[in-house]
Amino acid sequence: MSADDSELRELRSSVRQFLEARSPEEAVRKLMESEPRFDLDVWAQAADQLRLPSLVIPEEYGGDGFGPVELGVVLEEMGRALLCSPFFSTVVLAAQALLASGDKGACARHLPGIAAGRTTAALAVAEDGGSWDPALISARAVPDGDGGWRLNGRKSFVIDGTTADLVLVVARTVAGPSLFAVERTSAGVAAEAMETLDATRAMARLTFDTVPAALVGADGAGGRVMARVLDIATVGLAAEQAGGARRCLEMSADYARTRHQFGRPIGSFQAVKHKCADMLVQVELAEAASREAARSAAEGTPDFPVAAAVAHACCSRAYMFAAMENIQVHGGIGFTWEHPAHLYFRRAKSSQLLFGGPAVYHERLLDRLGI
Amino acid sequence: MEHDMQDFTAEVRRFLDAHVAKAPDRTAFTWGEGDDSMAYFSSLPPEEEREHVQRARDWQRIRHENGFGWITGPPEYGGRGLTPVHDLLYDAIESEYDVADTGTLSVIGLGMIGPTILAHAQPRIKDRWLPAMYRGDAIACQLFSEPGAGSDLASVATKAVRDGEDWVLNGQKVWTSVAQHSQIGLALTRTNPDAPKHRGITAFLVPMDAPGVEVRPLRQMTGGADFNEVFLTDVRVPEDHRLGEIDGGWTVALTTLMNERATVGSEGAGPVAAALSPDRLSALMRATWTWDDRALRARLAELLVDAMATEHLNTRALRTLRAGVTPGPERSVAKLMYGQNLTRAAHFVADCLGPRLVADTGKWGTYAWSELLLATPALRILGGTEEIMKNILAERVLGLPKEARA
Repeated sequence: MSADDSELRELRSSVRQFLEARSPEEAVRKLMESEPRFDLDVWAQAADQLRLPSLVIPEEYGGDGFGPVELGVVLEEMGRALLCSPFFSTVVLAAQALLASGDKGACARHLPGIAAGRTTAALAVAEDGGSWDPALISARAVPDGDGGWRLNGRKSFVIDGTTADLVLVVARTVAGPSLFAVERTSAGVAAEAMETLDATRAMARLTFDTVPAALVGADGAGGRVMARVLDIATVGLAAEQAGGARRCLEMSADYARTRHQFGRPIGSFQAVKHKCADMLVQVELAEAASREAARSAAEGTPDFPVAAAVAHACCSRAYMFAAMENIQVHGGIGFTWEHPAHLYFRRAKSSQLLFGGPAVYHERLLDRLGI
Repeated sequence: MEHDMQDFTAEVRRFLDAHVAKAPDRTAFTWGEGDDSMAYFSSLPPEEEREHVQRARDWQRIRHENGFGWITGPPEYGGRGLTPVHDLLYDAIESEYDVADTGTLSVIGLGMIGPTILAHAQPRIKDRWLPAMYRGDAIACQLFSEPGAGSDLASVATKAVRDGEDWVLNGQKVWTSVAQHSQIGLALTRTNPDAPKHRGITAFLVPMDAPGVEVRPLRQMTGGADFNEVFLTDVRVPEDHRLGEIDGGWTVALTTLMNERATVGSEGAGPVAAALSPDRLSALMRATWTWDDRALRARLAELLVDAMATEHLNTRALRTLRAGVTPGPERSVAKLMYGQNLTRAAHFVADCLGPRLVADTGKWGTYAWSELLLATPALRILGGTEEIMKNILAERVLGLPKEARA
């Protein structure tokens, strides 16, 4: 299913209204210092009133069956509002991993709960080095003799890892990296919150000690599944980044129009004007890159992996640039704890490094281009 | 609309198939084979340059005879009366064919000055020049810039004084592309030095063969001479060659400039596309043994990210246009990026080539890049300097207050 332009506008405006009411800055600041790091009521409303968790889950699993373009609109708005919620971990990472695995049984078991907003989920890939490279995974799974598996190892940087009901873990078997499903409350799972640069996105370290696990998809297919999830997740993240960058630009332009120094608005000084224009250029590029990548995913065009890599690099850079310049345009006030600029700065840097950072995404793009 | 576009597409293809061959696949290339020219500006000898212009005129005439000479123009002047979307569609299809480069006629004359004549000229002038321009008979140039009026175009000082039924023009213009091939020029002149500077300007159509018009080529840093200085000494222009109101020439200029923004920045094929082609750049890295230089690889990646994101911006603008909506700031942003992307590409290539860019060893695909390198400073100036483009974005898109201006 896909929405036309006016339906997309309507989706954007209803999500924005909801977030303005339920995730204003005060709410974000309160949540980023609480545990769990999201508001259960807001999450329930997002599910019941706006059906956000179900938006891109296929209809056969109880979802509404929309695609990456609609998902991008929602994520842009969430990125603007710095919403603290398990949406990214559950819908963008875990649900997409289930779908990418092609395991219909696992999808039927877990996706309806996710679509209904009852189940939250996390995807555990990186270990202490933070890498998403399947070759660097050391967590292991071995058959338990009854058709099940037992999982051992440690995962870090797991988004919403202390609160997720379901954890999808990439672990090594004899056949190679493979995807496993684990109940977080199983015996042998220890989840510990990590201190994070971006406090609006909770992360955890998970330790697995002989934990019962269910194989998802084929044994040894983890590398392929991860490549697909990375494409989808980086495009999702790119939308979030484009939304955040747009918000930084708006803050700067508003301030430059109204703040007076030397008897005139600071926006009338060419140095400030050009800073804002440079931000606009980055934001326009970011939106174009992320929306075209989402469109390419929706249409299933063969250049999607390239478009995804471009969106990831472009939006990471644009958001970081906009978040930095936003503080400069605001001057001293932008460096205070009370001003929201640092919240966007933290989110921008954290997002840029989430899947490995510039050195990794540059090479991923070149690899996709056969260079 | 969809259906209409399909019919139009089929008609365009029938026309092109009947007259020209398909262009060679520009993405397929082998290192060391074919043309390695990277010239953005021409540096052809005058003889070849004239042949080039003649080929452009011939192709424009064929387009005109088949109903594609002026797709958006009104039928009474030989136009087709279709929409800008048809025009863009035609360009997109034609780019797949091996046709003569009509840039000398189309970018300034047909793209910018034609619409200005249509909007502001007196009827006899429209009859006289519009069909001739779109038939490829007349080439037009833009006599706007002056040594003392670059980005601040309203500072033009070339004088026009009324003398009976004529106006007498005196002054100097500069940066005039294609003046050496032109039959007419659209000139901005000062007719009222006492009025505020935007209100004392009048526009005239100047026949380039009028006594007192002298065109001198201006050699630029690439070595070629694409631009000219044009000296106007007691040039008599009849009253009916005036465009718009007396002292109301700024409105006329704005029509041209609006069309300029629609025209510049829509570059595509040729050396420009080659300079940003991942295949060519990676082949260059292999040929220069820089393949596994991590710093250069990171720069290449950034370069390609910008080039591809800029493409996405253009795609979006086109899609918006197809939906019948005026695009946002995409084109201005794309123009800004386009100059920067090519600049970064040229310097990236220079760092791969090292000394091989300093002097010509005769080796394919090496020294040829100096042509692009030397063109890049101009790419950040032409059609409005980066500073002016940024002011436009900040003021018109973000609504920031204007700078204090004289």
